[in-house]
Amino acid sequence: MKDNAIVFKGTKEGLYIVLKEEMDFEDILQQLEEKIKPSKKFFEGAKITNLKGKRLTPKEFEELVGVLENQYDMEYLGDYESLYSYVNGVKEEDKNRLNQVQITNQNNGQEEKAFFVKGTVRSGQLIKSDGNIIILGDVNPGAYLEAVGSIMVMGNMRGIAHSGTQGDYNTFIAAFRLEPMQLRIGDIITRSPDGKKYKSEVPEMAVVRRGMIIVEPIWGRNS
Amino acid sequence: MGEVIVITSGKGGVGKTTTAANIGTGLALEGKSVVLLDADIGLRNLDVVMGLENRIVYDLVDVVEGICRMKQALIKDKRYTNLYLMPAAQTKDKNAVNPEQMLKLTKDLAEEFDYVLVDCPAGIEQGFKNAIAGANRSIVVTTPEVSAVRDADRIVGLLEAHGLRNPQLIINRVKIDMVRRGDMMNIDDMVDILAIDLLGVIPDDEYIVISTNRGEPAISDSKSLAGQAYKNIVKRILGENVPFMNLDPEEGFMAKLAKAFGFRRK
Ligand SMILES: Nc1ncnc2c1ncn2[C@@H]1O[C@H](COP(=O)(O)OP(=O)(O)O)[C@@H](O)[C@H]1O
Ligand SMILES: [Mg+2]
Repeated sequence: MKDNAIVFKGTKEGLYIVLKEEMDFEDILQQLEEKIKPSKKFFEGAKITNLKGKRLTPKEFEELVGVLENQYDMEYLGDYESLYSYVNGVKEEDKNRLNQVQITNQNNGQEEKAFFVKGTVRSGQLIKSDGNIIILGDVNPGAYLEAVGSIMVMGNMRGIAHSGTQGDYNTFIAAFRLEPMQLRIGDIITRSPDGKKYKSEVPEMAVVRRGMIIVEPIWGRNS
Repeated sequence: MGEVIVITSGKGGVGKTTTAANIGTGLALEGKSVVLLDADIGLRNLDVVMGLENRIVYDLVDVVEGICRMKQALIKDKRYTNLYLMPAAQTKDKNAVNPEQMLKLTKDLAEEFDYVLVDCPAGIEQGFKNAIAGANRSIVVTTPEVSAVRDADRIVGLLEAHGLRNPQLIINRVKIDMVRRGDMMNIDDMVDILAIDLLGVIPDDEYIVISTNRGEPAISDSKSLAGQAYKNIVKRILGENVPFMNLDPEEGFMAKLAKAFGFRRK
């Protein structure tokens, strides 16, 4: 199985890439192309903070970073030395908390389905759909939404929402009031800052830009 | 047929038992026939709060197992002739009964009484499932804390999934000086999140502790603030329209508080 030769993971600071231990370097490069090409625009300008997993030789490292920076307009923060002095001392945290999903382009031209829920989604409840999810009501803290497609909450979204669970960065999470505990799009995660509760004033949506989740107003934005 | 009301919360120690004792006593004071059913098997204490613990011979599990007749396990209250308690077993655990048995028991009790109040154990396991099995109305108790509200939300979801459509909310242990300082979780926010009807707000009141230790529910004492708040709740359960709190910032603090607890201004 070559499928998961590389996996992108998101943190607050940026992305890191996990390289599967037993893969050849050639396969890694090939998968990089397969994974990023269809989703290139989501990765433009992305900051790669770290490489984990398979240890690369200095030459391989240079080649990989070269590909990332020149072909895909990403930026690698750091250098070979600091990478491996750091990686060796760090255990791979969060491993189980993420689905290590593949990046594929989905729903292009395909019919999309939506799962409607009317009412409050409460703590401990999980709404799952292999299409989109539309909630006509509030999503409370401790409630989970998981959609292969996008998520729209016509109310307060205060729980945990995961769109693009099979790796579609084209998906979004939108809400009349987006005050989430955590948002995930594909395998990228972001969470609300600690401390003071964030109060949303206008309808907002979360999308992927530069390999990170950003939140912006649904209406009145430039793009 | 009487009504079966389950009093639940998710989180422990927020005031379910206190609420069951006070509402039960309050309904009896209003002339209704009431039975308090302690469904907290293995951790019973409704009998202690009611001051009836030394009269227990048979309990709920004995009835379910056919060791005694239903009437034999009903303890008559010492003050009110139309108030009874069916205690939980202390030496068994929650698996000693199942939801079907509880459904039958509460149905049998509802034949005899206007109100069957079920005091639910903490948690969402077997004991919870037992307690809600026969209910046709539910009250969710929370305190103004994020963790209690979160658990209450979970419980509301489970109640709704079980067909108990319109749970009502009691917010207990609201601290008056914290309201004054603005440090308390906002009542409107809690009601907004839980999205269920507010049945009442109970102040934190040391009289509750005193009365609990005496085995006399606070509702029977006119000096207790919490007792007054429970009186209003009882009236609302009976369908009376008692005025509600309003956190209007234009109002003076005492007016706000008076409104919060449903007192009439002199
Ligand atoms: N409004 C209140 N003011 C002060 N103390 C309270 C109040 N409500 C409950 N308590 C106290 O909190 C504790 C837990 O109450 P209890 O009714 O036993 O909770 P539960 O049945 O939910 O576990 C008891 O010691 C009780 O006296
Ligand atoms: Mg109790």
